Amino acid sequence: MRLSQVSFRYSRRGPWILEDVELTLRPGSVVEVTGRNGAGKSTLLRLLAGFVPPTRGSVSGRPRVVGYAPDVFPTGQPFTVSAYLAHMTRLRGASPAAAGDLARRLNAVHLLDLPLGDLSKGSAQKVGLIQSLLGPPDLLILDEPFAGLDERTRAELPAVIGEIAAHGGTVVVSDHQNQLREFPGADHCLVADRAVTVHSAGRPAEPDPGLGSGSDSGSGSGSEQDAGRAAGQGPATDRRAVIEVLVDPGEADEVEQKLRADGYTVRRTS
Amino acid sequence: MTRLTRFKLSAYARSHRLFPPAIGLLLMLGIFYSTLTPPGKELSAYADSAGLLIVVFAWASRSLLDTEPAAQRLVSMTAAGGPGREIGAGLLAAFTVNLMFAAIAVVTPLLHGFAATPAPGDVARGAVLHLLGLSAGTALGALTTHPIMPSPAASMLTLLGGYVALLLVSLTPVGRFTVPVMPWMRAANDGALDAVLLPIAAAALFWSAAGLAAYVRLRRTRP
Repeated sequence: MRLSQVSFRYSRRGPWILEDVELTLRPGSVVEVTGRNGAGKSTLLRLLAGFVPPTRGSVSGRPRVVGYAPDVFPTGQPFTVSAYLAHMTRLRGASPAAAGDLARRLNAVHLLDLPLGDLSKGSAQKVGLIQSLLGPPDLLILDEPFAGLDERTRAELPAVIGEIAAHGGTVVVSDHQNQLREFPGADHCLVADRAVTVHSAGRPAEPDPGLGSGSDSGSGSGSEQDAGRAAGQGPATDRRAVIEVLVDPGEADEVEQKLRADGYTVRRTS
Repeated sequence: MTRLTRFKLSAYARSHRLFPPAIGLLLMLGIFYSTLTPPGKELSAYADSAGLLIVVFAWASRSLLDTEPAAQRLVSMTAAGGPGREIGAGLLAAFTVNLMFAAIAVVTPLLHGFAATPAPGDVARGAVLHLLGLSAGTALGALTTHPIMPSPAASMLTLLGGYVALLLVSLTPVGRFTVPVMPWMRAANDGALDAVLLPIAAAALFWSAAGLAAYVRLRRTRP
């Protein structure tokens, strides 16, 4: 799949969100898309999924079967989880057993009889992931799939992604939380300043946006570079401050995710 | 596309969003036929019903197309195989609901409303006029849905204002070139519908198709 000289803006007089993007996605590749809030990550995903045509340029070679999981699954629908997934299974022409198998794998069997409206954020996220994996897809697009997931599912999802890629599918993941930072062979794609920079099987160098602005770098344990920035070392950290936040252990994951989602560099020390 | 249409219809029925326009339809039919239509005036009554129910058809179309949340529309696009299929399935579902409404509007007065059973030809002409009305209503409703008009207030005002404008313009000499609601009411009342039915149907279908084409074009950049 290839994006050639793709530019996009939402209205004729609106600002350009992306400009002259060149991107090639190989079958079997996994691409982690990062960038601060409002950088254009979701727009890039929409172009890749084919929801909107580019304002300029072209998108070619999009696989036939596309799976998409939105960042916030829409729970305001009058179905139980199983009824919804049955509809999606029929729509995709998937095996009737596929949704059940995926529900077992993503620890969602206990949700099947619940109305969609009763789901928590993490549970709803699982339903969004299950429907996207029915098919299975040749192009899988996941918008912040790790947000709100429990530990077990968060650990399982990279394995599922790996299987899609192993079967020749292309997987594109917008990932604020850098859960795919150590995914073997993953390409990393930074969206910033209306451009898309790809670094194959390594992390792209990110521009330092300064205090309080969004950088998506950092990991749970912290790479050396991230730890150095957070600790105020090196020339890139001159305009940064370090704030220590103390939280209950049970809330640590949630707070960390919120801060990362807001674009801050986070380093866990315990 | 049929499966997605079924999904949309199922969501619409389960969400109870069907009820407000359905109640509107029954209320209007109750008003139209509160007194029995005298023999010979059935076609005129059908013509009025088809013209006045356009607003109900538009309301039903708008509420059905807005049933799915925005993110679900994106999911449906990938599940159905592309944006075009999602848009087509939505319009097909809106037509289906409005066909059901139109059938109710045509059959109800046969059960209670007409003093005498009209000739089959008049029932057929009444059904054709309701088809024209539902085509115009479906297009008007689609153009006021959330992806096209995100503000609910602006959308509802446009729907009602658009319908009133349609009626007023069709009163003028250029009315026969727009959706000719008043001309078909007058012609039916004068017993001259057959002479003008073809141009009236052509004009109504042309503007309905133009409205639906505009909706499809706008949805390309407003998923």
